[in-house]
Amino acid sequence: MRSESAVLSCTNLAKSYGGVHALVNVNWELRAGEVHALCGENGAGKSTLARICCGITAPDAGELRYLDRRVKWSGADKARRAGIGIILQELDLFAGLTVAENIALGNARLEPQNWIARSALDQAVRRVLQDVCLDVAPSTLLGRLSVSQWQLVAIARALALEARVIFMDEPTSALTDDGVERLFELIARLKARGVAVAYVSHKMTEIFRISDRISVLRDGAMIGTEARERTSIEKVIQQMVGRPLAAVRAGAVRRGGGEPVLVVEDLTSRWLRNISFRLGAGEILGVAGLVGSGRSELGRALFGMSRRVGGTITVGGCPYQAREVGEAIQRGLVLVPEDRRHGLVAGMSVRENTTLACLRSLARAGWIARDREAAAATGVLALCRTKRANDELPVAALSGGNQQKVLLGKWLLTRPRIAIFDDPTRGIDIGAKDDFYRLMVELAGGGLGVIWISSELPELLANAHRVLVLHEGRCAGLLDAVQATQEQIMRLATGHPN
Amino acid sequence: MPSRVWNYFRHHGRPFLGLALVFALGVVFSPRDYAGNLIFLSVGNLTDVLLQQSEIGIIALAMTLVIIGAGIDLSVGSVLACSASMAALLLVRWTPGLAVGPQMAVAAGAALLTGATIGAVNGLVITRLGLQAFVMTLATMIGVRGLTRWLTGNTNIDFGFGEMASARFSALFSHKPSVIIVWVLLAIVAHLVLTRTIFGRYLRAIGENEQAAIYTGLPVRTIRFVAYTACGGLAALAGLIHAARSHQGNPNDGVAYELDAIAAVVIGGTALAGGQGTIVGTVTGTLILGLLTNMLRLRMIDSNLELMIKAVIIIVAVWLQRRDRASNSSL
Repeated sequence: MRSESAVLSCTNLAKSYGGVHALVNVNWELRAGEVHALCGENGAGKSTLARICCGITAPDAGELRYLDRRVKWSGADKARRAGIGIILQELDLFAGLTVAENIALGNARLEPQNWIARSALDQAVRRVLQDVCLDVAPSTLLGRLSVSQWQLVAIARALALEARVIFMDEPTSALTDDGVERLFELIARLKARGVAVAYVSHKMTEIFRISDRISVLRDGAMIGTEARERTSIEKVIQQMVGRPLAAVRAGAVRRGGGEPVLVVEDLTSRWLRNISFRLGAGEILGVAGLVGSGRSELGRALFGMSRRVGGTITVGGCPYQAREVGEAIQRGLVLVPEDRRHGLVAGMSVRENTTLACLRSLARAGWIARDREAAAATGVLALCRTKRANDELPVAALSGGNQQKVLLGKWLLTRPRIAIFDDPTRGIDIGAKDDFYRLMVELAGGGLGVIWISSELPELLANAHRVLVLHEGRCAGLLDAVQATQEQIMRLATGHPN
Repeated sequence: MPSRVWNYFRHHGRPFLGLALVFALGVVFSPRDYAGNLIFLSVGNLTDVLLQQSEIGIIALAMTLVIIGAGIDLSVGSVLACSASMAALLLVRWTPGLAVGPQMAVAAGAALLTGATIGAVNGLVITRLGLQAFVMTLATMIGVRGLTRWLTGNTNIDFGFGEMASARFSALFSHKPSVIIVWVLLAIVAHLVLTRTIFGRYLRAIGENEQAAIYTGLPVRTIRFVAYTACGGLAALAGLIHAARSHQGNPNDGVAYELDAIAAVVIGGTALAGGQGTIVGTVTGTLILGLLTNMLRLRMIDSNLELMIKAVIIIVAVWLQRRDRASNSSL
C-alpha cells in the first residue's frame, strides 16, 4: 500500500495496554504535502497511533518507515530531531519557562542558541510566533498566557522544528473561532511547503474543510482511508461507530419553564458583568460564548467557587450567597466541571467516586454503611446507563463518556434542583454524546433545572429551551433555542450583533 | 471470604512477601542458645522486636494518614523528644504534693496535649496559610527541638526508682504487653478509620486529587487539620513510651525518627504522592525494619552495614510498587 510520496508509513502496527488492544495490525501512510485526518471514537486508537509515530510510545509489533528508512524511535526527542513534530491534546509545555525557552526546548536547531545567541533565538521565535499570529514577547513567561495562547505556542513550537511531519491532536479544542481560522490558514501554508499534517479531531466539519484524505479507526483497527471527495460526514460517522446513527436529535420534547428555581440578578464577579436570567424547573438553559467569554466562570460563580462582587442570586425563592461549594450542594446546585480530572478521583473505584458527594447520607456517626453505599451507587449508575464491568474497578478504566456518567450519577445522589454542565460532551465519542443528550432531556423532564454550557452550538440548539449568549463577561443576548440560528448566536458571541 | 483475603493479598501483598523473606533470613542466620534453640524465634526476642518498634510503629500509623492526604510531617522526632522531656519535667522536677497516680496522669496528659497542639499548629498553618507541608513541618522540627532543649536546659532528666512517680510511670509505659497491645489497638483503629469511615474516604480523595475534592465540596482543610493533629498526638504518645523505656527525658532523642517512620510507611506501599496506602502495609513495613535490625544485631553485625541494607530495602520495595502502578492507567 506504500506509494512513492509517503513520508511516513506504518505496517502491521500493534500495541496493547494490559490486555486491551489499542492498535491491531494497523497499516497507514502519510504523504508529503497532504492533510490527513484521523477519525475515530475515543479509545479507537487515534492518539496511540500518533504517539507511536512520534516516538512517545513504542509499538509492540510492526514496522515504521520514515523517509524510506526503517526507524525505531527510542524516545520523542529522536523523532523530533528527525523532523516529526506533535501538538498534544494535553499541552506538554512548561508554565515556568518563557515562550522562547518552550519553543527552543528539544529543538536541535534552536536549543544551542538558547545558550550562545539569545538575540538570534528571539528572532527565530518571533518569526514562528508571527506565523501563528501570536503577539507576545519571546521572553514572556508561559504561565502568564491563556489556554488558547498556550495552544498557539504549542503550534509555534512544532513549526520551529521545520518539521516534515506534524501531528495535531485536537488542536482546536482550546481555540476561539478566530484562532481556528488562523490555524487553518497556517495548515494551508504548511501544505504548500510540502509538510505532511496528520490531523486528529472529533469535529467533522473541520475535518471535511481541511483534509485531503480521511482515515477511520475503530477499536484499534484501521477501517479505511478515503480521499475526502469520495466520502461524506455520514459515511465517516457510520464507519466510526460501526452502525448507522439516528440523526442529531431534532427538537427534543421541549416543555420546561416551570416555577423559577434560580433567579440571577446583576451577577458581577472578576470576569462577569451584570448577568441576569431566570431558570425554570425542567428548563434547559444553554450558555454559549467563545473561550474567555466568561461562560465557565458563570458556572463556577454560581457553584460558589469564585468571589461574587455584586448582584443577587435566589434559589427556590430564598437568597443564596454562593460563597462555597458546600453551601451550593446543600442548596441543591451541582456543577459538572469542564475538566473531568476536576470531577473524578482516578485511583478510586467507580463506587467510591459515585458516592463521594453524598457519603454523609450513607453513614451513621461517620461510619459508612457499605451495603447502602453499594446499592446507592449501583442504582444511580443504572439510571445513568453507565457501562462498566463492575463498580469496584478504578474509574480511570472507564471510557470518557462513562466517566462523565459516573460524575453525573455522583451529583444525582445529592438530589440537586439545579445542575450546571460545563461542556459535558467535550472529547467524548459520538455514541456517548447521543446517550448524554437523551439523559439530560430526561432529567429536565423530571423537573431538574439545567444550565448547559457548551462550545458546540448544534447540540445547544437541538436540546436547550433558551440560549444565553455571553460576550466578554456580559450577557449579549437571551434567545429562544427553537428560533435561534447558529449565525445569530455567533454574531452575538463575537460582539457583532448586526 | 477466602476470595476477599486473596484479593487483598494480590493487591497489597508485596510488603508481606518482604516480611516473609526477612523473617526467613532471620531464622536462617539466627544464632542458637545453650539448649540449641534459635534465639531469633524465641518469644522473648520477637516481643522485644515489637516493643522496640512500637515507637516508630505508632508514629508511622499517623504518618500514613498524613501521607495519604498528600502531606508529610517531619516534626515527629522533635515532638517525641518534647513529649518525653515534658513528661520527665512534670514527673521529676515538679512536686505538687499530688498522689503518684494523678501526677502521672497530669504528666502524660500535658505531654499528649503539647504534641497534639504542635500537630494542630502544623495543620493550621498548612491549611490556612497555604505553606507547603514539608516547609512548615521542617520549621516545627527545628523550633520544637529548640524549645525542648531550652525547657530542659539541654540536660537529660533521669527518672527515679522505687515508689517515685517517675519510676511508676516508667514501669507502666514500658510494660511490654501493654505497649504492644496499645500499638495493635491503634493500628486497628487507624485501619478502620481509613477504610470504613467518611474521614478515611475523604482523606484518600483529597490526597489523590485535591481539585476534584474541592469541586465535590469536601472539607479539605478540616480533614488535613485533623490528620496533622493526630500525627502530633501519636508522636507524643510515642514520646511517653520512649521516656519510659529509656528511663529518662532526653531533649536530644528522637533525631531522624521521622525518616524511619516515613521509611516504614513507604516500604508498606503508601505512595508519597498521596491517595494510595494501607495501615496493614505500614505495620508490615515497620516490622520489616525491626526484624532486620534484630537479625543483624543478634549476629553482632556492624550497625553501619545495617543502614546500608535498609537503604537497599527501601529502594527495592518502592521500585516493586512503582512497577505495579505503572501498569495502571490514569484519567
